[in-house]
Amino acid sequence: MAHSPAALSLTGLTKRFGKTTAVNDISIDIREGEFFTIVGPSGSGKSSLVRLLAGLDAPSAGRLTLRGQDITETPANRRPTAMVFQSLALFDHRTVGQNIEFAMKMKGVAPEARRARALELLRLVRLPEDYYPRPVTQCSGGERQRVALARALGSDPEILFFDEPLSAIDYRLRKTLEVELKELHQRTGKTFIYITHSLEEAMVMSDRIAIMRAGQFEQIGTPEEIYRRPMNRFVASFMGEVNILTVQQQGGATVFADLELPAPDAKGTFAVLRPEALSCDAEGTFCFDAHIVQKLMLGSRTQFHLRAGTATLIAEVAAGHGTTLRIGDTARFSFDPTDIVWVNS
Amino acid sequence: MKAQGNTVWLKAVWIGTILTALYLPIVSVVLASLANTRYMRFPHKTWTLDAYRAAAADYTTVTLHVISLQIAVSVVVLSVLLGTIGAMAYARYDWRGRSLFQKILILPIFFPQPVLGLALLLSMSALGIAPSWKTAVVAHAVWIVPIVTLVISIRMFGYDVAQEEAAFDLGASRWQVAREVTLPALWPGLFSGALFAFLLSWSNLPLSVYTSGADTPLPLWLFSRTATNYSPLVPAIAVIGTFVSGLIVLALLGIRRALFWPSAK
Amino acid sequence: MRRNPGLWYAMPLILMMLLFFAAPLVIVGWYSLMPPRSFALTADLGLQNYRSAFTEGYGRPLMWSIIGAALTTLVTALLAWPTAKILHHHAGRWASLVTALIALPIFISESVRLFGLSVFLMPGGGILAGTLNAVFDVQIGTILNTRLAALVGMIYIHFPFMLFPMLLGVAMIPADRIEAARDLGANRWAVLREVELPLAAPGLLVGGLLTFVLCLGANAEAAILGGRAVTVITAAIEQRFNYAQDWPMGAALTVLVILVTAALVFPALRRIDLGRIIRR
Repeated sequence: MAHSPAALSLTGLTKRFGKTTAVNDISIDIREGEFFTIVGPSGSGKSSLVRLLAGLDAPSAGRLTLRGQDITETPANRRPTAMVFQSLALFDHRTVGQNIEFAMKMKGVAPEARRARALELLRLVRLPEDYYPRPVTQCSGGERQRVALARALGSDPEILFFDEPLSAIDYRLRKTLEVELKELHQRTGKTFIYITHSLEEAMVMSDRIAIMRAGQFEQIGTPEEIYRRPMNRFVASFMGEVNILTVQQQGGATVFADLELPAPDAKGTFAVLRPEALSCDAEGTFCFDAHIVQKLMLGSRTQFHLRAGTATLIAEVAAGHGTTLRIGDTARFSFDPTDIVWVNS
Repeated sequence: MKAQGNTVWLKAVWIGTILTALYLPIVSVVLASLANTRYMRFPHKTWTLDAYRAAAADYTTVTLHVISLQIAVSVVVLSVLLGTIGAMAYARYDWRGRSLFQKILILPIFFPQPVLGLALLLSMSALGIAPSWKTAVVAHAVWIVPIVTLVISIRMFGYDVAQEEAAFDLGASRWQVAREVTLPALWPGLFSGALFAFLLSWSNLPLSVYTSGADTPLPLWLFSRTATNYSPLVPAIAVIGTFVSGLIVLALLGIRRALFWPSAK
Repeated sequence: MRRNPGLWYAMPLILMMLLFFAAPLVIVGWYSLMPPRSFALTADLGLQNYRSAFTEGYGRPLMWSIIGAALTTLVTALLAWPTAKILHHHAGRWASLVTALIALPIFISESVRLFGLSVFLMPGGGILAGTLNAVFDVQIGTILNTRLAALVGMIYIHFPFMLFPMLLGVAMIPADRIEAARDLGANRWAVLREVELPLAAPGLLVGGLLTFVLCLGANAEAAILGGRAVTVITAAIEQRFNYAQDWPMGAALTVLVILVTAALVFPALRRIDLGRIIRR
């Protein structure tokens, strides 16, 4: 494993636009056949980064090697990679078939061979063959996604890039496509590098995730690692709603400042607590009284918005618990030290 | 229910009246061309195509059309070329002076055309340039190029530039990107631009009046002969000229269909 | 910094505008400051042409042009508003056909159409008078060679220029806003004043401006239909240039027209984002 060269190797990759540095000295090896996802908020530089990888922009500094071969200076049209764009960038003046065959046509593949391969790709992305002669303008959102995917695969790339292709799709279709994409990755065995602003989306599909902020990777790890051991508040809060409690020294003792609760054995400056870590049964180690501001039914869980001390907290309990609690009540909530994720920044 | 029916009826009458008013004068030209008397006495005693025969035999008819065509074709070429380049700056790229450029560009459209013609005439005379059909081309272009730029920009705004990057990413060379993606995608805009340029130039009177010098394009000849020296030849040539432009437009549409770039709507 | 080619693409048009739009206007402005009847550009600058423009009776043609343009704008707006509303409301095949039919005459030379209007209105043997006489044995007079005829001609020619921007404007009124206003108790008039006109304002402004400016320079209508009843400013300028050979005076009158135009166009364009209308 360690001896096979990385599919893609970034060394000190940097991109500056005037005074701003969009991509700041990133080095990483992406393994062969890996589903690697870069997650970051807008403006974090993730799109700039993937454009460097695809060869659409030239880096200001750093090197890029593909299977040990330097491709830093190779333009996009000569790199064995293909990208699925955020806007999909389908050729609207062409049919589905012509879109999929585009890369093959550029390579000079004979029309019959092109057609055979295009039909094969249509099957692979689960579109009926009779879509072949249709104008892409007549395809629905999900169908356009699949055409874009087939078109990228049509160039037989060694690495596929995805620049937030699912961001404009509604929730249910997105979930379906995420699973399909994961299956496609398993079936093709190609290296996928995926950009998204949704950690949730990244969790579903990825082998490894990189959290990006201000042009740099904050943390790289498996979905499990990112979820269980976020390195800092930024990564922790990326997953969704979390409670963050500040730990302070008060009169020689360590306390959760907002709750005025002693915090012995604090292993960091901030305690990150997921909503489901807060229980309304008062059985946990740390107990506190909270005023219930809002109560929301989420189906399998019930969510409480709490005010305790100077803190505003969110607790989620399994349905069937806390049924007697009402808005306006004051109730006892608790959490266990094992559920705390400690971070220092 | 009844009130509903009445308003629909009223609307139909309104639209019908507007259309009738718009087309009555045009029909009148056709009717006037079917006379053989110098002074019109409608209804004509004899309905005849004499005026058309005379027009066909008259070399003036050809000269007028040739001059109008020379001007229109030059304007089409100029405005599609400049308009495409201009639309890049207008719609495609975001650059520092863009909003100012967008505002300045439309100034000639919001400018009295005869006054523009006169200003051009005066400056050319001051510079010692004799007005001819070529100067008329310049005058037409000042007004038509901005319009064509806007027409092409409409298409350009709806065009996802990422398509070019996608093509490049899929292995196309710069030239292939232009041929396979950019041109076909913008083609409908270029075509509409060319059509506009042709029709606007062919029918333009106020700019030609002062800038075409001794070369008389069709509308100008009609204008001067209406005022003086009227005969049924005038409406006959007016009808012929309109038909010729109609035929040219149909030919252009035919060329578009023949080239058949599957359009995206 | 990524090199942005926008300015380079703008260059050809900027050059064209400078050479053939800005420069002629500057030359005209310069000429207007020359002594009367001089052809040279090197004499002492002075405002005497502007002084005589108002003392020698050129105020009248300018006034007629402005009044004519204003009236035409008003009447075409009143005609175009219901038309635009109908076409927008009944959008579909039928409306597209009508729209195309209204657009078509723009591409027939205005000299042809004005000529048609004049033979239609001609007394005695004109199309209208002749038909009425032959069919109903009714004799009518004519409005030809009056100011009214010139105005009718201007309205006829410029109606589409008002209608099409207005159609764009009307299309910018979402139907649900009208329903919302109705629901909140607005009557027809209130809906028009409070919702429709403000939302359609960009289109109205563009249409009004275009019509007014085109009419300000309009010459053919008065020449073909108005006879000698009215002298418009363009005719006065042309007369100074061609027959009187008084270029500086003609230039001064031209500058006056440009000033009137600029006084309207610049404030209006500041309020309209044409790019936004086009992008739709």
